[in-house]
Amino acid sequence: MSAPAIKVRGLVTRFGDNVVHDGLDLDVRTGEILAVIGPSGCGKSVLLREIIGLDPFQAGAIEVFGEAVEAGGARARRMGVMFQDGALFSRLTLKENVEAPFKEHTKMAPALMSELAELKLIMAGLGPETHDLKPAQISGGMRKRAALARALALDPELLLLDEPTAGLDPVTAGKFDKLIEELAEALSLTVFLVTHDLDTLFETADRIAVLNEGKVAVIGPIDEVSASAHPWVKEYFRGPRGRAAAGAHAPARGR
Amino acid sequence: MSAAATYEVRQDGGARVLALHGDWTVETAPSLDADLRALGEREGAGLAVDVSGLGRIDVAGAFLIDRTVRGGHARGGLDTPMVVHGAHAAAERLLSVARGAAAPGEARTRAPLTLTDLVAIVGRWVAEFAHEAVETVAFLGETLFVLGRLALNPRRIRWTSVVSVMEMAGLNALPIIAVLSFFVGLVIAYLGARILGDFGASVFTVELVGVSVMREFGVVITAVLLAGRTDSSFTAEIGAMKMRQEVDAMRVMGIHPMEALTAPRVIAMLVMTPLLTFTAIIAGLFGGWVACAGYLGTSLDMFFQRIQDGVPAQHFWVGMSKSPVFALVLASVGCRHGLAVGGDVGSLGRRVTDSVVQAIFIIIMLDAAFALWFLEIDI
Repeated sequence: MSAPAIKVRGLVTRFGDNVVHDGLDLDVRTGEILAVIGPSGCGKSVLLREIIGLDPFQAGAIEVFGEAVEAGGARARRMGVMFQDGALFSRLTLKENVEAPFKEHTKMAPALMSELAELKLIMAGLGPETHDLKPAQISGGMRKRAALARALALDPELLLLDEPTAGLDPVTAGKFDKLIEELAEALSLTVFLVTHDLDTLFETADRIAVLNEGKVAVIGPIDEVSASAHPWVKEYFRGPRGRAAAGAHAPARGR
Repeated sequence: MSAAATYEVRQDGGARVLALHGDWTVETAPSLDADLRALGEREGAGLAVDVSGLGRIDVAGAFLIDRTVRGGHARGGLDTPMVVHGAHAAAERLLSVARGAAAPGEARTRAPLTLTDLVAIVGRWVAEFAHEAVETVAFLGETLFVLGRLALNPRRIRWTSVVSVMEMAGLNALPIIAVLSFFVGLVIAYLGARILGDFGASVFTVELVGVSVMREFGVVITAVLLAGRTDSSFTAEIGAMKMRQEVDAMRVMGIHPMEALTAPRVIAMLVMTPLLTFTAIIAGLFGGWVACAGYLGTSLDMFFQRIQDGVPAQHFWVGMSKSPVFALVLASVGCRHGLAVGGDVGSLGRRVTDSVVQAIFIIIMLDAAFALWFLEIDI
């Protein structure tokens, strides 16, 4: 088995007296889709920001592809990030948004930039008629797709997604889950995603890590995690929403 | 780390083959962009691809290869078959991804700008200017109407909000306004003393400072500074509330945004601007005295004695009478642009700019109108 894409060891994060991560260990295997869940305020998004290098942590170590991450340090080019609301640059068109990383990091001719940006947008499911629109002119689902196209611009090996389906209707969210799965498969991406969406867990994730009380409480494939005796996990999966999602996906997993 | 991307075209039996070597990634492949485009246009269609010598590959590399085989064009050529020699798991997968996402059809070209377009642009500007003028007057009318309604029912005025705006927009602006007018007064007096001195009339420096600071500079400097400091913050604050749907939430609760947002700001400015103008006048006169004392040796007593004797009080009242008008303009322009902010960040920036520019424009225009009018009625 190859080295983990992300390795977190003994991570401690404190905001004043509030301990968010208390000696957290986590491995994300190369090529897998790992979903992180946990109660609100358990530090899922903070963990994601720390892996990217946006937020500082107090103790421990984070390695991405064997390189230590430091807050405020240079961002690894092998990483693509999609923020919760897309964080598209609102003054640029969708195509210019995807071109932005090319302009910053490569010495491409403008024509090639534009061609590659179109390619990425089409890969994310946005047809040529949308490429010259501004983010304010398109729907939430399309914005997420454009944000995904921008995250994939420089062909990263690792994709980090913060709540990829939050705020989408179930149909759109389902399509977006599928898109992530297909792209991860086709581009052999490692995906780290933070989510609250039970359907995403059942549909997309290879493994699930449950964050609780500053540590990874349970980690494993959906069957193992949902069968866990951990009280929060029990409540999460055995609640009405959890049961509904599990029921809906049971035949699919039985294949 | 990564090996440079190279290629060769070789004859293999009846077919021509594009043999790839090295890593074809977003870092390495773009250097071959121009070569491959030319190759594709020359003999691309029908080229087979040999991936047996290929190292790493990603979507950017796969796109360049696919584009070459499709004939070098960004779009179209989707029905050209892709013949791949050699085994390379990632290459086959990514080449099909690139082909699957290639844009169909012809590129849209942007029409060049013609003279008609230029005329249309100018026309749109003029129409926009007229529209803005009408909107501003309409908003001013609405503001006055709301103020009138509040005057009949003063219990509906949000005093907490009024006092808070008075502190932030008024009191906190006091030091900067006092310092700036001090220096303006100082410069006028200094210049006056020098230039009037050439005519042997430097004794009139005091009158010059008195008239100009009281009548014009005190109030105009206050208003322009408030436009930059307060009017912009009104627009940004209300605009951000608009973007976060707080204004919509108010409407749903039956709170009138004009009453809750605009009225307290206008009332606070109507109270504070005259006070700030008064401060500016005093500071300006004091600046004038400092220059007079330094250059002409005038004492403070003498300076104010001369002002009392030589500058009629009407100049002071002319200046002060303009300040509530400017306050009304400042606050209502700021609030209007704030409430007109749309959903995106760009519109917030544009509105703040427009708000400040418009406020200063209107203040200077009104000041000119006042000057003419006061002179015509001999005040």
